[in-house]
Amino acid sequence: MPIDCEDQELLEGFLAETTELLEKLDDDLIALEKASDDPELMNRIFRSIHTVKGASSFLGFDLLVRVTHKTEDVLNRLRKGELQLTPEIMDVVLEATDLVKTLVADIKAGEIVDREIDETINKLIPLLTEQPAAPAAPAQPAADAPAPAAPEAPPAASETTAPPQAEDKPAPEAPPVAAMPPAAPRPAPEAAKKPAPPKGAEKGGDDLSDNTTVRVDVKRLDDLMNQVGELVLERNRMIQLNQDLQGGTSDHILFSEEFGKLAKRMSFVTSELQMQVLKMRMIPVEKVFKKFPRIVRSLARDLGKEVDLQIFGEETELDRSVVDEIGDPLIHLIRNAMDHGLETPDERMAAGKPRTGTLVLAAVHEGNSIIISIKDDGRGIDTERVGRKAIEKGLITEDQLAAMSQREMFDLIFLPGFSTKDKASDLSGRGVGMDVVKTNIKKLNGLIEIKSEKGMGSEFILRLPLTLAIIQSLLVEVEGEIYSIPLASVLETLRVDQREFHVIGGQEVLKLRDMVLPLVRLEQVFNVRRCHEQDNFCYIVVIGSADKRVGLVVTRLVGQQEVAIKSLGKYLANVTGIAGSTILGDGRVALIVDPVGMVDGGEGASGGR
Amino acid sequence: MSNALVPMNANEARTGDHGELIQLVSFSLDNEEYGVDVLKVREIIRMPSITRVPNTPHYVEGVINLRGKVIPIINMRRRFGLIEVEYDKQTRIMVMDVEGELMGFIVDAVSEVIRISSSEIQPSPAVVTSGIDQECIAGVINQAERLLVLLDLQKMFSQDERQLFGSL
Repeated sequence: MPIDCEDQELLEGFLAETTELLEKLDDDLIALEKASDDPELMNRIFRSIHTVKGASSFLGFDLLVRVTHKTEDVLNRLRKGELQLTPEIMDVVLEATDLVKTLVADIKAGEIVDREIDETINKLIPLLTEQPAAPAAPAQPAADAPAPAAPEAPPAASETTAPPQAEDKPAPEAPPVAAMPPAAPRPAPEAAKKPAPPKGAEKGGDDLSDNTTVRVDVKRLDDLMNQVGELVLERNRMIQLNQDLQGGTSDHILFSEEFGKLAKRMSFVTSELQMQVLKMRMIPVEKVFKKFPRIVRSLARDLGKEVDLQIFGEETELDRSVVDEIGDPLIHLIRNAMDHGLETPDERMAAGKPRTGTLVLAAVHEGNSIIISIKDDGRGIDTERVGRKAIEKGLITEDQLAAMSQREMFDLIFLPGFSTKDKASDLSGRGVGMDVVKTNIKKLNGLIEIKSEKGMGSEFILRLPLTLAIIQSLLVEVEGEIYSIPLASVLETLRVDQREFHVIGGQEVLKLRDMVLPLVRLEQVFNVRRCHEQDNFCYIVVIGSADKRVGLVVTRLVGQQEVAIKSLGKYLANVTGIAGSTILGDGRVALIVDPVGMVDGGEGASGGR
Repeated sequence: MSNALVPMNANEARTGDHGELIQLVSFSLDNEEYGVDVLKVREIIRMPSITRVPNTPHYVEGVINLRGKVIPIINMRRRFGLIEVEYDKQTRIMVMDVEGELMGFIVDAVSEVIRISSSEIQPSPAVVTSGIDQECIAGVINQAERLLVLLDLQKMFSQDERQLFGSL
């Protein structure tokens, strides 16, 4: 059966994404066998298979959905601890993963083959109902077969992923087949005839390489070359100046004048160059947005809802690294809005709203960040119900709930394992989706804000950095040490007299206009040795993340500078309050303050006292 | 260690056995001599200006800019609980490759590269000098008048990392 898919690009996107996920899934599963008590790893595996399932369901690949759905169920039981991971279970899960790979390979080849999937599914089913000890028995006859297959799985995985680059046709098909002895008799002849449709496969190969190559306008490239040419000229000028000074043909006054000019030109050329390179990495967000109408349509059909999707600002450009990462979270947010937010037409009529619900997806630039919002006019978040569910699921305690603000209650929906649904459906209810959203956004240094009013609808606002490499920052001095604060989260700076500080419950605060601003002394958070005489005047940098505000007390403001972010390496990756580092003009390293950590940490400190 | 496979001539004749030849960088720390595999050492630099990183273990001196790359610096004296001294002209940072990441280690002085045969490495005695963790000691080399403690920094590191992650 040839694949019936309206949008070839959509399909290619799906294939690229799924291939990547499956690639990682293999590694993770193998790692899980060694460290079965790692919840982070378990959650990651679960998220991958969940995403594959979701994507295949909207494209209508039923076979794939059936297999992934059952696999997901088994993984879910493992995750909840209802099932102990044994090698037998892992064999079955790996077999299912291999089957998924074969099915995806079929799709890639452009032909859906009606494969025998029940055998694998039948092995998964007992794992869903029986107690830990029992599955060994039904799995036993099958286990004999997959047992030798299991060790083969990892090499098979690496081979399936390698060939797209090599564009070697018959090889990629063979390994997954070899890794699945139970299915072997059937696919064997297929493997033989595989070389027949090479077109589809080559497309698959291109598709993968697409993720790592960029198409650049020739004009932009020419511009870039010009800029580099200018840079070379300026470099020569610099060398010349230095020689003149050394050789005595130029005195210091002339030199400093000339050097000043040079510095200006250099700064001009490099910032132009930076803009050019940045522009090359920018792609319109449309690339992600354009797959949503289709998802929304098919979801609406499945759910029996009427939805009008409005998209704004799809021409907004952002860095490709960011574009690649926001696809998943946006799909989950849209599903969430469709499933939980919007009501059925009848419910809407009863509530006095138009039959058709509205879902607005908008992207807009704001300073150095991009803001993407997903807004529905559905029933809104019922904080009471959310709180009750969270307690039921054992995610929080009654006391914790009682102390929560409205915003914190909204945040509960991001907890892994949280769901308001009692029964998991094809679409939702496992408590994974929002976890995916949060993890991905956090990875991008982004922020999520939720606005919701019961009965009126909710809005999820994602604030993402335009690029991940270079940021505008505010340099501040804290008792002789220089720190850099991302300008995107700085709201204002003020100079105040320390006598204006008040203390409420052990927490220093400042009355700023009509609000009370909690203060965080950076020298205390960072244990800086005091070297200056106590000065009554100090500077306050007001930073905000979501709707929380905190004032950082610093000694002096140094200035604004564009800085390149450098990682602190694996060893120092999780230092409290520090997001990274950068190198200053004099070659020294300055640390970048993590605004999100500061805001949360500041609040935690005040709550603890 | 086994990757430093260089045929050995002179030493072999003297010691009379057939161990592999190993090259070690020797450095001193509180009057003791230590050695690490030369292949793990990327470069040896003088003390640059170090930026302190807050909220890290006490032996993390901070980070430095190594030609555009930011790398963490470990103070070996503090790491091993030795008395701290002022940095002087001999103080060096050994930049090493620890599990694929570059890290710098502050030592009192770096003296030379020595060649030994792997058969000269003896297991460390039960009680070793100073406060160095037993796990990081890969062995002891007894050469004529001097005693060299062979360190395996990778080991010291995996243990640290465990502690660091455990506290999170």
